[in-house]
Amino acid sequence: MLFIIEDTINGILMGSIYGLAALGLTVIFGVLKVINFAHGSLLMVGMYVAYWAVLLTGMHPYLSLVVVVPVMFVFGYLLQDILIKPIFKSEKEVREPITVIIVTTGVWYILDNLALLIFGPQYRNIQDNPLRGKMLEIGDMMVSVPKLWGFFTALATALVIYLFLRKTRMGRAVRATSLDRDAASLQGINQYRIYNIAFGMGTAVAGVAGVTLVPFYNVFPTVGVLFDIKCFIIVVLGGLGSIGGALLGGMIIGVIESVGPQFMTATWTEAIVYALFLAFLFLKPSGLFGVKYDW
Amino acid sequence: MTPSLARGLPLVVLALVAFGLPLAVTSATYLHILILLFLYAYLTTSWNLVGGFAGVLPLGHAAFVGIGAYTSTILSLQYGVSPWIGMFVGGLLSSLVGVIIGLPTFKMRGAYFALATIAFAEGIRVMFENIDYLGPLQINGPRGLQIPPLKTGLVHFMFADKEPYYYIILVMLAAVLALTWAISRSKLGYYLVAGGEEPEAAQSLGINVAHAKLAAMAMSSFLTALAGTFWAQFTLYIHPKSVMSLDISFEIAFIALIGGRGSIAGPVLGALLLRPVSDFSRIYFGDTLPGLHLIIFGVVLILVMLYQPRGLQEPLTRLYRRAMGRLIGDRGAPG
Repeated sequence: MLFIIEDTINGILMGSIYGLAALGLTVIFGVLKVINFAHGSLLMVGMYVAYWAVLLTGMHPYLSLVVVVPVMFVFGYLLQDILIKPIFKSEKEVREPITVIIVTTGVWYILDNLALLIFGPQYRNIQDNPLRGKMLEIGDMMVSVPKLWGFFTALATALVIYLFLRKTRMGRAVRATSLDRDAASLQGINQYRIYNIAFGMGTAVAGVAGVTLVPFYNVFPTVGVLFDIKCFIIVVLGGLGSIGGALLGGMIIGVIESVGPQFMTATWTEAIVYALFLAFLFLKPSGLFGVKYDW
Repeated sequence: MTPSLARGLPLVVLALVAFGLPLAVTSATYLHILILLFLYAYLTTSWNLVGGFAGVLPLGHAAFVGIGAYTSTILSLQYGVSPWIGMFVGGLLSSLVGVIIGLPTFKMRGAYFALATIAFAEGIRVMFENIDYLGPLQINGPRGLQIPPLKTGLVHFMFADKEPYYYIILVMLAAVLALTWAISRSKLGYYLVAGGEEPEAAQSLGINVAHAKLAAMAMSSFLTALAGTFWAQFTLYIHPKSVMSLDISFEIAFIALIGGRGSIAGPVLGALLLRPVSDFSRIYFGDTLPGLHLIIFGVVLILVMLYQPRGLQEPLTRLYRRAMGRLIGDRGAPG
């Protein structure tokens, strides 16, 4: 029985990191109403930035947040400004331009393969960092320390985003735009600037998720693909645009992945996740916490 | 030259060139590249029935390739059924799966539809990777199935040379293009376009949009599965990561989007432009610059989406029309 509790705890911890990655996706969706297919690749970029920052300066992995967050924010801001804004301008009447999916898929392919070109296919990890391989013993249970750090980072990030959206003037503008772009524009809010900021925030959050992964996970060019589809699943599960939903959805996936193998071949858990995802898409597309969606 | 002759002649020339190419191309490598080019043109044209005319973005067509490949291969390996028959069994099976996927997903819009098709396709791939035996059928999990090259000949859909494969895929491509042309001029074609562009308006005119989309999906998945059998017989080795990978689904969609979805020439044009890029960059830069072709794909895709959202077929068709118009002496041949 104990090992199930142990797996559940570690599943929740890993799942909260999935949730953190999905949080970025949900912030972007909440405002722009589009799914960013390049999200996993942005996470990959964040991981490389963190990896090099730590490797070159020898700083604590979490200190690299100081570098990763601003770099990723600017990256996402510019990405939206240069590539996605023109689509919104030319397809004004479309609520969810499908073209954005296609363009962000293009970005995905470019980023992944640029990383392959520049860094090569090898798996990289930081061997000597203070978190690697650390375990916390609680009675007879072992809990991964780097994942525990990730868990608290996920909670903190969610809280920061929540406070930003609720308590600041800019946050209110973001929420207004997400509710009704046209009405927000009429109130003097520059909707495209809000889009840039939201995309920058989502990208920065992907970067934060990258930082939490670097201490214990391998960095390689296609690492984003592992998280890409998982993030899609999590945001639909939790409800697109919902911050709490993203975290909870991530934890559900994490628990399935870590407890599942006790009962079946590990690879089958992936099939269960897909089945759960499809069930939600069909039966409750608004997810656990999402607002009822008018499609 | 009369206008109708001027319009028909280039097609005839094109067909003659296509049929004569193996005489000029003696290198097995180049013939291989041409076969893959036509295979992708075929796959993309089949995809286009749903992704182009019906105006949705399916990103899971690799599942149908896989179902076609596995069905004919299992039937021929375990029961001695000719792949030609297995091909159509696979097509029907895939069509059934396509309709099952389409029933719930066609109600969704935009991103949800794309995500659902990815999830279905990946789910099917994961199942194939985890199943060794499905009842009496040997699937072999991630190891896949090898087709021993024992009996060659037309009946066995297996040849020592590449030329027969070339002609088979060429005929398949011609057939699917003719079918697409016929559909685009049929009621179904108009229903699909209307339903894709203005679902509410189409519905209010009494068009059953859902039925039209399902019909398109059934055909598209059927045709895609036929290519799966061709793939299996051509490469003689299939496994879930090869015939069912997400990369195939994405490449098909990329080719269609760059060439021009919803047009007849678009998918072929897209394959003509992109396949050589991917093959030659793999041949010449495979070691030094891995993934170069995918970067090019991504850049071209973004540029096309931003500046030529209807695909490259549009400006090229315009150029072609102008050239033809000048050739036959009147400005802008209609149609």
